[in-house]
Amino acid sequence: MSDHTPTGWKRWAYSTNHKDIGSMYIMYAVVMALIGGTMSMMIRLELAEPGLQFLEDLHFYNVLVTGHGLIMIFFVVMPGLIGGFGNWFVPLMIGAPDMAFPRLNNISFWLLIAATVMLILSVFIGGGAGTGWTMYPPLSNSLFHDSASVDYAILALHLAGASSILGAINFITTIVNMRAPGMTFHKMPLFVWSVLVTAFLLVTALPVLAGALTMLLTDRNFGTSFFAPEGGGDPILWQHLFWFFGHPEVYIMILPAFGIISHIISTFSRKPVFGYLGMAYAMVSIGAVGYIVWAHHMYTVGLGVDTRAYFLLATMLIAVPTGIKIFSWIATMWGGSITFETPMLFAIGFIFLFTVGGVTGVVLANAGMDIMMHDTYYVVAHFHYVLSLGAVFSMFAGFYYWIGKMSGRQYPEALGKLHFWVTFIGVNILFFPQHFLGLAGMPRRIPDYPDVYAGWNMVSSIGAAIAGFGTLIFLFVIYRTFTAGEKAAANPWGEGAKTLEWTVSSPPPFHSFSEPPQFDAKPEAAE
Amino acid sequence: MSNTTQSKRNRTIGLAVVGIVFSMVALAYASVPLYRIFCQVTGYGGTPQITESGPTTAMSQRKIKVRFNADVNSSLDWKFKPYEHEMEVHLGETALATYSAENDGKETVTGTAIFNVTPLKAAPYFNKVECFCFSEQTLAAGETADMPVSFFVDPEILEDPNTQEVRTITLSYTFYRAKSDS
Amino acid sequence: MLSKFNWFIFSLVALVGGLPFQAHAQMAHPWQFGFQGAFSPSAEKLHEFHSLLTVIIISITLFVLGLLIYVVLKFNRKANPVPSKTTHHTLLEVVWTAVPVLILVVITIPSLRVLYFLDRVEDADMTVKIVGHQWYWSYEYPDNDDMTFDSYIVDKEDLEEGQPRLLTVDNALVVPAGKNIRLLMASGDVIHSWAVPSLGVKLDAVPGRLNETWVKVNEPGTYYGQCSELCGVNHGFMPITIKALSEDDYAAWLLEAMEEFANNDNDNKPLKIASLQGKASVWEGSNE
Repeated sequence: MSDHTPTGWKRWAYSTNHKDIGSMYIMYAVVMALIGGTMSMMIRLELAEPGLQFLEDLHFYNVLVTGHGLIMIFFVVMPGLIGGFGNWFVPLMIGAPDMAFPRLNNISFWLLIAATVMLILSVFIGGGAGTGWTMYPPLSNSLFHDSASVDYAILALHLAGASSILGAINFITTIVNMRAPGMTFHKMPLFVWSVLVTAFLLVTALPVLAGALTMLLTDRNFGTSFFAPEGGGDPILWQHLFWFFGHPEVYIMILPAFGIISHIISTFSRKPVFGYLGMAYAMVSIGAVGYIVWAHHMYTVGLGVDTRAYFLLATMLIAVPTGIKIFSWIATMWGGSITFETPMLFAIGFIFLFTVGGVTGVVLANAGMDIMMHDTYYVVAHFHYVLSLGAVFSMFAGFYYWIGKMSGRQYPEALGKLHFWVTFIGVNILFFPQHFLGLAGMPRRIPDYPDVYAGWNMVSSIGAAIAGFGTLIFLFVIYRTFTAGEKAAANPWGEGAKTLEWTVSSPPPFHSFSEPPQFDAKPEAAE
Repeated sequence: MSNTTQSKRNRTIGLAVVGIVFSMVALAYASVPLYRIFCQVTGYGGTPQITESGPTTAMSQRKIKVRFNADVNSSLDWKFKPYEHEMEVHLGETALATYSAENDGKETVTGTAIFNVTPLKAAPYFNKVECFCFSEQTLAAGETADMPVSFFVDPEILEDPNTQEVRTITLSYTFYRAKSDS
Repeated sequence: MLSKFNWFIFSLVALVGGLPFQAHAQMAHPWQFGFQGAFSPSAEKLHEFHSLLTVIIISITLFVLGLLIYVVLKFNRKANPVPSKTTHHTLLEVVWTAVPVLILVVITIPSLRVLYFLDRVEDADMTVKIVGHQWYWSYEYPDNDDMTFDSYIVDKEDLEEGQPRLLTVDNALVVPAGKNIRLLMASGDVIHSWAVPSLGVKLDAVPGRLNETWVKVNEPGTYYGQCSELCGVNHGFMPITIKALSEDDYAAWLLEAMEEFANNDNDNKPLKIASLQGKASVWEGSNE
């Protein structure tokens, strides 16, 4: 293998290097997060007071809601956690020289860019898709969305899905086949475990979405009637197919977060992860159970009572492995010698906020209770606590944890801590009052609301402004890191950081591990 | 391990995963007919049972009320009503109800009716012997047609703990313009 | 008699559920923390169950928060410079698997009971059919000669004193209080969802299928709800108002209404909202 490093634009455009591709994914996710975040700011601005503040066209509000959802899920969290951190650290953590199929890796990334182009086209051609990210027919049918925007949105999801599927094939092959000698499955770092489970979810869930999307596309354009009642189809079938994909999708977004958090907690507590095997198999079981709970998103469509009872019970089960994870993290910290650098702050914040999102999930799992909550802001609060405050906090945590490794420069600690506190306070003011709004009955996806909901909406919008200010601090952190960051040592975190990526220099050489490292330490499963 | 054996193993695993991907797509498509069959067989989603013959069990003394609901989608300029809003039948008794449809439009149109039963959980016990929904209906402008449906309610509805308390079943039809006609 | 535990639940719910405000409970009120008041057997059951859930989830959250604070104070670098090496404790792991299971059982049993209660179809005294349209509801009374009327939002300018903006409609659904009412749900176009929080009802109106649920309004009054499934541009502007009257008042209303709506034909809906569709100016809020 030559040590030749390509330079200039070719290094990036033709890149087959997992680190370069990972960096591109992370930069891409940051840019898309700014776009999706701007959309949410516009939503909060509109909802700050009753009445219509600035939107002339109510359809545009629905386009914002749809775009915010699609971008944050498919174009921020998935590329950031899986494409970004996954590409960077899975090969490093298992001691592999690169991914199994480096050129496929390149294709995955550029397919995502093509998907983005489609998504942008969908907004500008025909006024955008105002269907919500769930795209329920008949609203998404040609009768009610007759312009091509929904078609472009479908194509965008197809391409993003193909990108993720190819990425997942790559991860599975890499993890199964390219671990360093001595690294058995039961010694794999938990982040690698989390990506492996996620990749399996991706290759099984996304094809179902692809199938359903194709059906919707032919329903719209070629006269089929998979979901059209007049042709013998059933709109509810779309919901079954969509959520059969959609629920595993939720775990696709949160499992890599679990992996990252485990490493950070262990590193800064200077203790190995407590109950390593339990942690790994908790993720496996969360992934598996994720497939048999989908209809809890559909409690009000008119499902039989026994069906709802089953989905209630199955959904409840998820609380058990999730509880194991929360308590194991706390047990990892127990007896540790903890320091509170920025990544650790975000990780502790993650544990608490994920708990809040988790317990409201238990409330929502109850099919009867869901009659009060379904499609209200309670649901909005719930999934933002697990995703916006869960998955996104883990992305920030991962960024601070690994930026020194990735760029060779350490972030400014004081600014990082400021970023954490501003964000933590902002998002809680933003999302906690939404529980109250939901309980009081405010429906989601409405551009204006009855005047009684004004108070908490105002508070929520103020929280959004604070969180938005936090994002500006984050951008400044990035700027300072690259212009004035101190040079990072191979291992800036000391004794607690035991995984293989800390054994190479910061940044790692272009070709790391051309000779497989001998893996005999037992960082995770140590006695 | 040499590089060639590794890339060979990589390819094997990669292809296996590709296989998983394609079988999941196939599964998504298979779910369409499977879902329909599942609904028909189990009465899921309020799909009533369709039988060739009459009831197999003896008629019960218990009676149940059957209501009739009629809707027309806006794509169709028809009037569509049941002659009777409700009737009381014995469990296990085959009864006949009639709807009437009138084409208020100016052209000949073909409609197709879709149907279900509420409460949804009563559907497995609601059997239709013969009904107009099985075929498309064509009406000329101004034409009126009577559409009969014969049905019976299975006495086993009393055995199911979920449906024991059901005293009224609603049979609903919605007429859409047939896809072949639009 | 209220047992000690019940009393504890009661006071906790009063704290987080905003009981002091129950006076206006037929709709939400500003700065509300919890549910709107309960005015049907279903809503009462759901409130009761939610009280239990609230206690459980707040306890769990506080427990985790307490552990985190303890760990942060007790096991930081200053307080504990030498980290322990413990990574296993079988008993502990069994406990934190088993205890959540027990908590889930405590939740699941009442949950299933509520679920099956809501699904019971009481022998209904009357039937109302509700049809969702883009963007209004229409109500049919099949028992009363198929009387049909549409229910549109009332513009801000036309509101009378005391009528809440975005919740008031021109023709409310009127039902007798204290009677079991069968609700049949259908849709003329896309999926809508008919929801009235204070009555504990929410059910989707799905095109091509009829859905059924039931409600019993405990006492006369006016109750409000909104469409709860994204249905297009004016999704936020198809509210639900339901008036429950005493039996005599209802009978009187019915006579009048049957005359007023006698000529309504559910095949020919006036599409008066079509011209307003998507124009923000129509719904100008209270900010100007």
